[in-house]
Amino acid sequence: MLEIKGLSKTYGNKVRALDGVDLSIPKGMFGLLGPNGAGKSTLMRTIATLQAPDKGTLTFGEIDILKDPQALRATLGYLPQDFGVYPRMSARAMLDHLAVLKGISNGKQRKEVVTGLLEQTNLAQHANKAVASFSGGMRQRFGIAQALLGDPQLIIVDEPTAGLDPEERNRFHNLLSEIGENVVVILSTHIVEDVSDLCPNMAILNGGKIVAKGSPGELIAQMDGKVWARTIAKSELAGLRSQYNIISERLTVGQVRIHVVSDSNPGEGFEPIQADLEDVYFATIRQGQSAPAVAA
Amino acid sequence: MLSKIAGFEIRYQLFSPTFIAVFAIFFLLVFGGITIDNIQIGGGGSTNINSPNALTINVMIFSLFGGFIPAAFLSSGILRDRSFKTEELFFSRPIREADFVLGRFTGGFIATALCFASVPLAFLIGSQMPWLDQELIGPTNLAWFGYIYAVVGLVNMWVMGTILFTVANFTRSNLLVWIAFLLLFVLYLTGSIIAGQEPELRDTIAMIDPFGLNTFGEMTRYWTTFEQNSQVVPFEGVFMMNRLGWMGFGLLLLVINVLSFRFRKAASSGGRRGKPAAVSVPSSAISEVALPRVTPTLGGATSWQQFLARLNFEVKGVVFNVAFWIILAIGLINTVPGFFLGGGIFGTDNYPVTRVMMDIIAGGYGIFPIIIVIFYAAELMWRERGVGFSEITDATPTPSWVFIVSKFLAMCVVIVSLAVVIIVSAIISQLIQGYTVFEFGQYAIRGFIELIVPPVLLAALAIFLQVVLNNRWLGMAAMMVFFVVSLVMSQVGFDHQLYSYGFPPTGPWSDMNGYGHFLGIALWYSLYWSFVATILLVLAYQLWSRGALTPIWSRLGGLFGRFTPATSGLAAAALIGAGLTGGWIFYNTNVLNEYTSGPDSRHEQAAYERQYEHLVDLPQPTITDTSYDVDIYPDERRYEARGSYVLQNQTDGPLDTLWISYGPGTSIRNQAFEGASIATSDEASYIYSFALDVPMQPGESRTFDFSVERANPGFRNSGNVTTVNYNGTFFNNGESMPGIGVNQGIFLQDRQQRRREGLEPLPRAYDLEDESRWTESAFGNTSHYVSFRTIVSTSLDQIAIAPGYLEREWVEGDRRYFEYVMDRPILNFYSWLSADYELAERTRDGIDLQVFYHEPHAWNVERMLEASEDSLGYFSEHFSPYQYRQFRILEFPAYQSFAQSFPNTIPFSESIGFIADLREIEDIDYVYYVTAHEAAHQWWAHQVMSANVQGGTMLIESFAQYSALMVMRQEYGADAMRRFLKYELDRYLGARGSEAIEEQPLYRVENQQYIHYRKGSVIMYALQDYLGEDVVNHVMQRLIDERAYSSEPYATTLDFLRILREEAGPEHEQMIHDFFERIVLFDLKVTEATATQREDGRWDVVIDVEAHKFSADGAGEQTEEDIDYMIDIGIFTRDLDGPIEGSDHVLYMEKHRVNETTMRFELIVDEEPVFVGIDPYNKLIDRDSDDNLSRVTIE
Repeated sequence: MLEIKGLSKTYGNKVRALDGVDLSIPKGMFGLLGPNGAGKSTLMRTIATLQAPDKGTLTFGEIDILKDPQALRATLGYLPQDFGVYPRMSARAMLDHLAVLKGISNGKQRKEVVTGLLEQTNLAQHANKAVASFSGGMRQRFGIAQALLGDPQLIIVDEPTAGLDPEERNRFHNLLSEIGENVVVILSTHIVEDVSDLCPNMAILNGGKIVAKGSPGELIAQMDGKVWARTIAKSELAGLRSQYNIISERLTVGQVRIHVVSDSNPGEGFEPIQADLEDVYFATIRQGQSAPAVAA
Repeated sequence: MLSKIAGFEIRYQLFSPTFIAVFAIFFLLVFGGITIDNIQIGGGGSTNINSPNALTINVMIFSLFGGFIPAAFLSSGILRDRSFKTEELFFSRPIREADFVLGRFTGGFIATALCFASVPLAFLIGSQMPWLDQELIGPTNLAWFGYIYAVVGLVNMWVMGTILFTVANFTRSNLLVWIAFLLLFVLYLTGSIIAGQEPELRDTIAMIDPFGLNTFGEMTRYWTTFEQNSQVVPFEGVFMMNRLGWMGFGLLLLVINVLSFRFRKAASSGGRRGKPAAVSVPSSAISEVALPRVTPTLGGATSWQQFLARLNFEVKGVVFNVAFWIILAIGLINTVPGFFLGGGIFGTDNYPVTRVMMDIIAGGYGIFPIIIVIFYAAELMWRERGVGFSEITDATPTPSWVFIVSKFLAMCVVIVSLAVVIIVSAIISQLIQGYTVFEFGQYAIRGFIELIVPPVLLAALAIFLQVVLNNRWLGMAAMMVFFVVSLVMSQVGFDHQLYSYGFPPTGPWSDMNGYGHFLGIALWYSLYWSFVATILLVLAYQLWSRGALTPIWSRLGGLFGRFTPATSGLAAAALIGAGLTGGWIFYNTNVLNEYTSGPDSRHEQAAYERQYEHLVDLPQPTITDTSYDVDIYPDERRYEARGSYVLQNQTDGPLDTLWISYGPGTSIRNQAFEGASIATSDEASYIYSFALDVPMQPGESRTFDFSVERANPGFRNSGNVTTVNYNGTFFNNGESMPGIGVNQGIFLQDRQQRRREGLEPLPRAYDLEDESRWTESAFGNTSHYVSFRTIVSTSLDQIAIAPGYLEREWVEGDRRYFEYVMDRPILNFYSWLSADYELAERTRDGIDLQVFYHEPHAWNVERMLEASEDSLGYFSEHFSPYQYRQFRILEFPAYQSFAQSFPNTIPFSESIGFIADLREIEDIDYVYYVTAHEAAHQWWAHQVMSANVQGGTMLIESFAQYSALMVMRQEYGADAMRRFLKYELDRYLGARGSEAIEEQPLYRVENQQYIHYRKGSVIMYALQDYLGEDVVNHVMQRLIDERAYSSEPYATTLDFLRILREEAGPEHEQMIHDFFERIVLFDLKVTEATATQREDGRWDVVIDVEAHKFSADGAGEQTEEDIDYMIDIGIFTRDLDGPIEGSDHVLYMEKHRVNETTMRFELIVDEEPVFVGIDPYNKLIDRDSDDNLSRVTIE
């Protein structure tokens, strides 16, 4: 559905936010993973018509997004990474206003949609309260509600679960996956779990480049048998770092459990473990970071 | 910790683009102000460009506008953390709250102080520039810079800074900070307006003015040029108290800030009163709801609906914000006091006619809507980004024009609401004042053109600049730069209205003529600028950063690619519209009329002078007889005139050339001189010469015939006030009738401009002792007394009037004809008037007294007739008989504010008496005064004319003032004159500092109005007080006997002083010398006054006085000299302010000899004394006239 080809963007201060990004995103949930500063938000905003790239093409179905942003906006739902609200405006009034902006011109229909969305996001009982007074989770649900206005075919959610408690995050995921059955949903996040739980397809963005893409299963399969773990004392860590390709370190009760990628058993004390998406992610990111160092 | 925070704040602010930009802007403004001719602030006259006075005014004015600086650097120190969302970061650190507030404040204030240093720095550097007129550069004293920067600049920054910081701290709102700034500004303006109209409040206003401008004005009110050039305002008296008071106030605010600051307040949801996080019950995120599937429709009707929704949203956003209501309230504060002060003269209000109300609104409006436009453009254009909602709205399929246009219209709503609210309040205040002639039409037309169109046009520009610059503060600063640039452009010669965006030229309104032809002009320009505003809005739409902010060059690159058929169509239509209307305007200003920029016309004037200067004293024939046929066409704003002069050779030799000149803009149809042919024609300069076939012999007379037209086709770029109007025509023979010789009125007068053109200074007047000029009248050397007759026609509904007596009146076709003949020779200076008049008249001693007036202006017509009757009666009795059988006052439109005396004919502006509200008994009846003054000119000008030398205007104007004062005293009593004389004294002393060359003593006055009117009143009144009214009147009679209708020679002040000395006797020699031949000032003061009741019930009064006498030179440098004068000592039962009737309050009033600087007077009076005074009626010129009076201490 969404085809991205050769997308590049350099900011004024010479930061290459996007560097030749190619992606093909089908219907369903699509996870975009990447560390902070990887270019995720730039990519999201570019797809959401809020920023023009320097190079590349973007099409969604028949729509050439760069040439005809209005056409995409008509079928777009966008939940930005961080948004504020107008003071003193109730959730219903705000949604109604946005519904008009989205082009739902029939008043009766608009009322149904707004009421429906408020119920769907369980905000109906707070509908007449100012959005400014909402808690973080409620505000995020309001964000989803507005993104769903106008039956969008492309939904972009940028870091939606930041600041939500685990329960709310869970509910949020359910909501997303339900929506994702029929339309394209791009979920941008740096939380691996979000993607592994929800997304049949994903990509990892690092340093403005797509460093891995596929289904989580495929990506994990590639790592099968290559991930080894060992629990060590904290004091040993420095020595082992130089020796092994450590992709993750996790501190537990005074000891450190490290994951290492290696085609064969790296040595004493290591045990093979079942790779998961997090290992894939960290391994990919590590590669990206060490590659320039090698080149230099 | 404090120093670290402060240090961080300084570094943060100093390296911000805002600091650099604001510093540069203020530097350039001040530098430009001092180095570009014509826009110098605070200089002027013969005051130095770099005088300490100019320095102070610069620092003051820019500290006023510089409220912008602390708003940017100080309030941002408080507000920044919220907008950058770094507040938790800071507030969670272990910083003491006091350290945080003080640190931020200190840092911000140091940045503010450094930024404002741009002003004195630019003044210092600018004043060193080599191209400045070195005659107007004085010494540079660095101590002045430090002192003024500190007590004016820094204190104002401190006051403004602490106030804005406090508002920011307590409200957390940029908007309210801006409003606080606006409020301070408006309070200052209102204070100045009140101080201008109510002199008794000046001291109070000087004390409380937060910026010290009124304080400075009060301290230096009477400063002369010398003082302005050589001293700074001392840190004492009201100035010191004002400065210390406001510094203390600022300190108090700072302490309050430090004590009350709490981090958590900032962390709440923006400090708004709404309860945060009202919901705590966790609820599940999602419910199973079958959503209706609605597919959005786009374009067409939906866009319209989106537009309406958006407009509704933006307007609500504006109107439901408290700022909007505060702005309306400030607008009312700004104008409502004016409605009740009424903009009168001598403290006497006008009736609240709609013209006056609208003038007050337009005057008080001033910069106010501009500030609103600048502010709201920033606020609205940054609204979505400000709250962090822009990414959501920008990603909706709503067309961009919806956003831009709705924001623009929301601004229009603010502008229109403000205009409507203020107009409604004007109507209500008319009602309160019992005035019920509502002119809704005038309110609508002028409200639209003067109050709504300009700010709406500016709103489009402000939006455009916000879009282009992508930075809220830069966008606001750019608007300020725009205003300064437009101001400067018009000053340096780029003065065509076609490129002075935003301010369609409006003409003055006149009750007689309405907007007249100005309505069309204003509408054409409004239309033209509206098209340009449309183009600006289309560009703003095309360049708008939807989504991420993009640098302007990348947006400009894609500008043309983004044009759609709709926008390019609109832009093209607007371009064509602007082209057509602009072309029409150009056709009017540059084709139908001639357009010359200010500098060009000055070059032309200089060239004219160089070419024709040699004609100035060339012997020429003299006009002895004149007759005119004048046809006035009010509907077409033109007149035609055919006339004939008899010219006589009154010189000793034959004349072979006649030079004739016409006022610029005259169409000359025909001209012929008997026995001569045209030798040279300079059509561009309107000057012609005739060669005589046979020279004119001494005593010979010949006729000169001419036919001219004064047409006013279309409209001009400037100077559209014309003499011919739909209703209310008033022109004199200087405009288009031929004059003999060169037209000296074209010569450049201003000394600086003459220097720039390389011309020698023009003497303001010929030397008093130059006897060759004694046979020339003050009107020039081309005529003396002439006979005059005219036939004048006008449209059927109007009456046309000229000097002389009406001989015939008839109607021919659709024209009405009048023939006026003067039965005795008059000065060669007369006028024609035509309007739809009402007539009021009465007869006294065979003299017809008439007032021709605009029908709604009947209020004071009877008063004018009474004043005329009293004046003619007094002058006929005490001076000489009135020479005419008729005395006519004629109202003319408010395009000018004067009354002018022609023989038996007095044009009198509608703005200076016809609408005065004389119902308050204590107000000065200036209608009576002006009428008496003009009546007196029938003697002083039309009987005794002065020679063309220094002192000439004393004989005309000071004597007319004297005559009017005598009639007023007869009407109101001697004790009531003090109030009027205090005004005259104040105006004389206040104008000395603006003297262009040097102050002259009264008998050598060189047409200096502050001397011949104001000082003349005070001196002449004192003269008759010392000598007695009869003695002075006898002097007047003798002068008339000697010089009435005399042209060989005309009268001079030497004649007057000779007669005066003979009549007064030698004991008054010192006084006459001081009053007329020198500039003498007194400083008289009661230092202490006590009274004790005697056993017989009467009162012993002891009065200690201080008395000084000074002489001053032409620049105002004073030297003290010994005093020996007879001076009034008065004892009263009341204060002398307020209305005075009768003289029951006067217990004692005698002249005593004062010949020491400190003296004691011991007197006995019958009743308990309350006030005593030395020269209590302010008859002598005294720079501190208030301390002459003192309350008595009873012991």
